[in-house]
Amino acid sequence: MSGRLKLAAFFSIHFLACSSFASAQQQAIGAPPEALNMKLVGSSDLQARSAYQPTIHHQGDRWIAYIGHHGGSDEIPAPVNPQNGKAEPNGTSIVDVTDPAQPKYLRHLPGQEGKYESGGAQMVRICDGKSLPKGDRSAVYMLRTFGGAAHEIWNVADPANPVLVTRIAGLKDTHKNWWECDTGIAFLVSGAPDWRTRRMTQVYDLSDPAHPQKIRDFGLPGQEPGSTGAVPTELHGPISTGPSGNRVYFGYGTNKAGILQIVDREKLLNGPKEPTPDNLRLPEIARLAMSAFNGAHTVFPMPGMPIAEFARDKDGKTRDIVMIVNEAILNECNEPRQMVWFADVTVENRPMMISNYTVPEASGTFCERGGRFGAHSSNESMAPVFYKKMAFIAFFNAGVRALDIRDPYHPKEVGHFIPAITAATDKRCVKIDGKDRCKVAIQTNNVETDERGYIYIVDRANTGLHILELTGPARAVAGLQ
Amino acid sequence: MPRWPFIAFLTVALGALSGAAAYQHAPPRQHEGNGVWQEISWPFPRDGWPAGRAFRCRTAACGGEVELYVRPKMGFCKCDRGVADDNEVDRVADLDLMSQHFAPLAPGDVVHVADMPGRVRAYELRMPDGLQRTAIGLAVSRRCDLLVAVAHGRGDAPEVRRAALASLASREMTRWMMAAMEER
Repeated sequence: MSGRLKLAAFFSIHFLACSSFASAQQQAIGAPPEALNMKLVGSSDLQARSAYQPTIHHQGDRWIAYIGHHGGSDEIPAPVNPQNGKAEPNGTSIVDVTDPAQPKYLRHLPGQEGKYESGGAQMVRICDGKSLPKGDRSAVYMLRTFGGAAHEIWNVADPANPVLVTRIAGLKDTHKNWWECDTGIAFLVSGAPDWRTRRMTQVYDLSDPAHPQKIRDFGLPGQEPGSTGAVPTELHGPISTGPSGNRVYFGYGTNKAGILQIVDREKLLNGPKEPTPDNLRLPEIARLAMSAFNGAHTVFPMPGMPIAEFARDKDGKTRDIVMIVNEAILNECNEPRQMVWFADVTVENRPMMISNYTVPEASGTFCERGGRFGAHSSNESMAPVFYKKMAFIAFFNAGVRALDIRDPYHPKEVGHFIPAITAATDKRCVKIDGKDRCKVAIQTNNVETDERGYIYIVDRANTGLHILELTGPARAVAGLQ
Repeated sequence: MPRWPFIAFLTVALGALSGAAAYQHAPPRQHEGNGVWQEISWPFPRDGWPAGRAFRCRTAACGGEVELYVRPKMGFCKCDRGVADDNEVDRVADLDLMSQHFAPLAPGDVVHVADMPGRVRAYELRMPDGLQRTAIGLAVSRRCDLLVAVAHGRGDAPEVRRAALASLASREMTRWMMAAMEER
């Protein structure tokens, strides 16, 4: 063979090898999950509904998972509920996970009609009546969104038979609420009709869930009714540290121009409430403006983290950290990488990014697998089992990633789990020369943990719920037996 | 038999095909709308979206000098709702690239551009140098994607609007906008 032929043969073989490697990364039905230091314990198909927020609640001697759903798809706008044989718009799945190896699907509570983010009931939070200052002590309250139209509160003391308590309606959008169970104060992500943004904050006193009391509307100056000029990035979701921490962390943006806003909770609740620019500015302590390339889906506070490296320093041994998770929204890497950032907010008026984390794309050729690749959300439970030690990040087609965050200046991945696809997994498409080219891949959307140390991940592309546990070295990071 | 002539032929053929494809997809540098629009370089620093296309018209048909900026914003629209109200135009139409300070002159109107529905609205812009300009903001959508345009000039709002919409309705621009919205 001549030298030129050898060269051509080499490139041909290389090309073929690379192609087959890439197609080997495509997920196949029946293939085993991809995992490191994480193990599948149990699963539920969630009636093949696109899933968003899971919230796990210890309810008496049972553990109940409440899972919010996006609206249905073009092909199946209202999947059939096998429990009653009826087509129901996606809403809330209620699953008994007391035995995580054998989850029992209790009830599907329909949501608003509508497809994708326009319907369903994607957000859900739970508070016991006995923890709320004016709640019915025998009740367990579920706060959920009803599409973009309303917030609803249900009594789920009997989780298989929820009873509607109240509804806050007349909105143009909703999203990722926060509810303080010890005070009843709720930071509702709403679209008040007269505001210039689709999503802002409505602060409510839900200490008596049957009688919601509005405290105020809140947002960034420029979003309020009657203002002119540029409209700041819309809200994604807040997390409050309650009266003791006296801070509310607001994340604005999705995959663009994110903002972390640090707010004095007491001034927010008790300051002047008319939504003027000055009144909106008053409770703000600081803002961290992020790159135009990244948004802020989740802003998860971890105050007072001891940093081993700084242990012998006379000052700054502990740091207040906020983990900021971006959200990828476009399929097959058609946007800047959305990832995880850690901000040191110890000096509150000078917050600073200190580190970041992403899944290496080449570790799974994730840009070629189909669907979204990038971060979306983190667990939000502050239960001691994982808090300030480990974080779990939903990373769409890269599954869930377990991070050791004990040193937030140097977060490192210690485990991951990418569920297998099933016949229910929905396709995700991109346009190629004007035509849809579709692939089927897992789309791990949201993640939550419980006090027992189980990790719950749910899929946006209809693959259901997977309950996981840590194994090996990852278990040791959390201090689990 | 030597194989290099075959390899050389393949190289030339591939080059020719690439050239033809590049020519087909190259954006027009000038197009006829209502008056002659000259394409200029995108004048704004990088932000969250890739740069779009910018044009200038200096003829009387545009009512004096008008500049027009157009670009897609993929994934930035509420998929089922589309551009439902004027607040959405205020929020997305790229007016803030020129100035943070703008005020609507009137409620907007429904518009269709390149077969996409949306809204158009007139504004008064206060430029960083203190001068006032008239601007037209436009946002149309297809599914979850937006196409936005903003035009500004010294003429009155109806004139700037007429010139901008005529430009966007030209065959070349329509073809480019439709292709740009397909690119993902």
